[in-house]
Amino acid sequence: MDIDGPLDFESEDLLLKSPALTTKKRKKVIGLDDLVNDYLKENKKLEMKSKRAKAQKDYHSDEDEDRDDRVAKLSECVEKCQKEMGQISDEDENSIWGLQVFGNQKTRPPAVFHELGSCGLLQSFMNNEINSLVELDVEKGEVFLERLLVNGWLLKLVYTCGHAEKSIATWTFGLMLYSSEEVLSTSACDFWTAILSPTSEVGLLQIKIDWLPNYSELKGALEIYGFILDSPSKFSSNMEIVTVDFGCGGPPQNIRAWIKYVASCCQVRSTYSILSTSEVEELVVLIINLFLDRQLVGLSVILYECMLSVINFFTDNEWNTSCETVAKSIACRVPRDMNCLRTVESISGVDARSKHLRHAVAFQILVACLDNKVTDAEVILRSLISINVKDKSCDLFKMYIFLVLTENWLLSNPMLEDKSVIYEMWGVYLRNCSCQITSTDLRSYASKVRSKASYLLQGQQQVIAFKYVLS
Amino acid sequence: MENRRIRSRGIEVNTMAILDASGFVKATQDLSDDRITFLEAVRSASLVPDNGIAPTYKMFEAIFQILKEENSLELIMSSYQLLNELDKRYPRVYTSKVELSKLPSPSNAPELVVVEEAWSPFMFASDSERDGANKNSGESFDSTSFHLLIQDLVKVVVQTKSEELETKSLRNMLLLQYLTSVLEGDFVPRYSICKDIMNWNLLRESLLNMLLGSRRISYKGLIKDCVSIMCEMSHVHTEISHDIRLPENSAVEQLEDCDAAVAISFPEVKKCTCIALQKLLLMVFNEPKWKLELIIQYFQKYIAKPSTRTRQSSDPIDDATYDGILKSFSNSNCAKNIIKKISAEVAQLLLAHAFQAYLSLSSQHSAESICQSKEDVRESSLVEICKNIISAFTNLRRIDENMEILPSGKEALFTAATILSTKS
Repeated sequence: MDIDGPLDFESEDLLLKSPALTTKKRKKVIGLDDLVNDYLKENKKLEMKSKRAKAQKDYHSDEDEDRDDRVAKLSECVEKCQKEMGQISDEDENSIWGLQVFGNQKTRPPAVFHELGSCGLLQSFMNNEINSLVELDVEKGEVFLERLLVNGWLLKLVYTCGHAEKSIATWTFGLMLYSSEEVLSTSACDFWTAILSPTSEVGLLQIKIDWLPNYSELKGALEIYGFILDSPSKFSSNMEIVTVDFGCGGPPQNIRAWIKYVASCCQVRSTYSILSTSEVEELVVLIINLFLDRQLVGLSVILYECMLSVINFFTDNEWNTSCETVAKSIACRVPRDMNCLRTVESISGVDARSKHLRHAVAFQILVACLDNKVTDAEVILRSLISINVKDKSCDLFKMYIFLVLTENWLLSNPMLEDKSVIYEMWGVYLRNCSCQITSTDLRSYASKVRSKASYLLQGQQQVIAFKYVLS
Repeated sequence: MENRRIRSRGIEVNTMAILDASGFVKATQDLSDDRITFLEAVRSASLVPDNGIAPTYKMFEAIFQILKEENSLELIMSSYQLLNELDKRYPRVYTSKVELSKLPSPSNAPELVVVEEAWSPFMFASDSERDGANKNSGESFDSTSFHLLIQDLVKVVVQTKSEELETKSLRNMLLLQYLTSVLEGDFVPRYSICKDIMNWNLLRESLLNMLLGSRRISYKGLIKDCVSIMCEMSHVHTEISHDIRLPENSAVEQLEDCDAAVAISFPEVKKCTCIALQKLLLMVFNEPKWKLELIIQYFQKYIAKPSTRTRQSSDPIDDATYDGILKSFSNSNCAKNIIKKISAEVAQLLLAHAFQAYLSLSSQHSAESICQSKEDVRESSLVEICKNIISAFTNLRRIDENMEILPSGKEALFTAATILSTKS
């Protein structure tokens, strides 16, 4: 074996055949040089040893034993190498999204039925002669109403009479947001969503609801649940303690009812005026915040639905400005780490509105990452291209964030469709990231940036090729 | 078409490369990262662009695989969400809306479009031809594996109740929800066309029919299992009502965070599973209508038919409607007979449930006059029914003064009396 010759580890048969080596593609590539050096050192020693042995003994009798020894040493070396590699990968590329969105819960308002005396529904029945069969009295009133609610009778009554009186509305709303009994909260939520949008069951009949909760009611509930990500300053200062304090806090079960209620009251703008445009803008931001809490991952289905309802609240005219407002508001709140990517990806992009929002949010975060200095698309791309990824001081984690944000801002963005210069620059940027970072780059996020960029580059080339085929 | 195929092949190669870790044992976090990146890439390729292309067979299979196998809640939710959104965007079966302005011939009616080459999580034995073409068929569901999934859930709900909140059972519930939505998406358009043109082949070829009609499973057993899951779940739903909280002692933060996420979403997933099972059982049928009809039929069995018509009963009670049943209860002899056979409790329960179904139907009716539920609803006014409910219960009490009125009976009475007082 030519030890001093150029290293071509691809042809190192022994190395390739070593079964223990089939691990960790990403990291393995980086460590191969060391591995080969170690191996060759060992090899040198072994060869010298074998030469000595040859001098002393008969060459042929010793060969097998010697080879066994070499294999053992080699695999030991490989193992050691792997261990080190494992440590490297534990140290970096481990950044995950997740913020503590909810702290400790505050005391909930007591869910007592204050206005039993004024509840017309109960009052009128107690004077009815049929009460001799039902035997309803003031003490049993609340429990009885709870059963009417849970078993669906209350909704049937409201549907049939076309009217929900104030005491019933406030009582059920309180149960929905604050009752710790899940069945009550869930039933009250079903009740409210049904009376707000009865179209599916009772046609266009509108129900007269004597009391409608306002925005502060919704916001207040979220605060009682322990919502802590409210002001931009809080958002960033809390970032530090995120990982420390996961055990305590967390929202109550009622958060589900909250989410569903918000969704349904945004759908009935034409019938009831419950929320103003600026309030709903705030709601969009709040809901995107909820996506950043890992404790709510399991609720992503209803969160997605809620998000769609909320952004479809706006009229087309309002939407263009509201979308910008929302995107800017999010951009100045969200930390510039994996959380900002999660933010963008939490916007589903299944309909025109959410696509628009996805583009806008990605763009605004990118602008914020670049210190809000530029908002011109070409200037932004030029500054991205000017970043030297080969520079040792280049923060590749930041590059990764930039890359994903730019992808979400540019891809299938109807507003930039005819600006081919933008997409040419995007191509240059992608080539910078994929070609200038070598596969042996040890820096953290090097391989992520590289593979992401080359994936996108391939996609882009295919689109170009496809357009060429079409033309 | 050819261009689309080239494009979709290109997307497949690129996205699948993200997942391609063959031969490399990766750290769990790396693997999860890759899978998340993959799901996000599919979304960007197929959902976000206006001219997006449906994922290929292979890609669909990979997404489905993630839903079936993953232990990370984030991945389970993302894959579930993605599959549902893809189905919405690229339905396998749909009705084509033909423009009315075109030729007023019979061919103008909406037609059923079945995308034959579309991927489906189901593959039945009769598809053996396709089986050969696709080596991955082991990953698809057939009648047997569908029933196994349901049996798994029976075990979960019956044995562990709500204390054991596992990611695995959550995943199985989502899987069942997805499969049910696939069955529904396949069946509903077929049914709507079938109603018009009376071509039963359309229904025979539905996934639902192939699933339930298979000789490999016991249809009865499957239905029984579905019902018992729904029973157990709604039992837990109403009885165990305490707030599910995390255990106080915190061992590993990461783990606890995940537990919290499972705990918070469990009631929601359970509720949706119940809804999915109900859909599976009823599919296109109207629930209150069926409920009412079943109760009426049940009562009819126990209402003694007068063998000879006496002159007094010039207006014989029509017991085929809810109103007729209620009137039978107003007749002391008749009511006595019924309670003797089915007990007063059961009678009360059935009357109350039928009343609830009646109210649902009557509000559906006031919306649009779908009068297919025959005379049940139309013949007598709501006020009449309310009056008759009250007199039926009054009569039951008259027959037996010690009879306790059940909570549901009381609720029905309250509702009837309140409706009467607002309507009169």
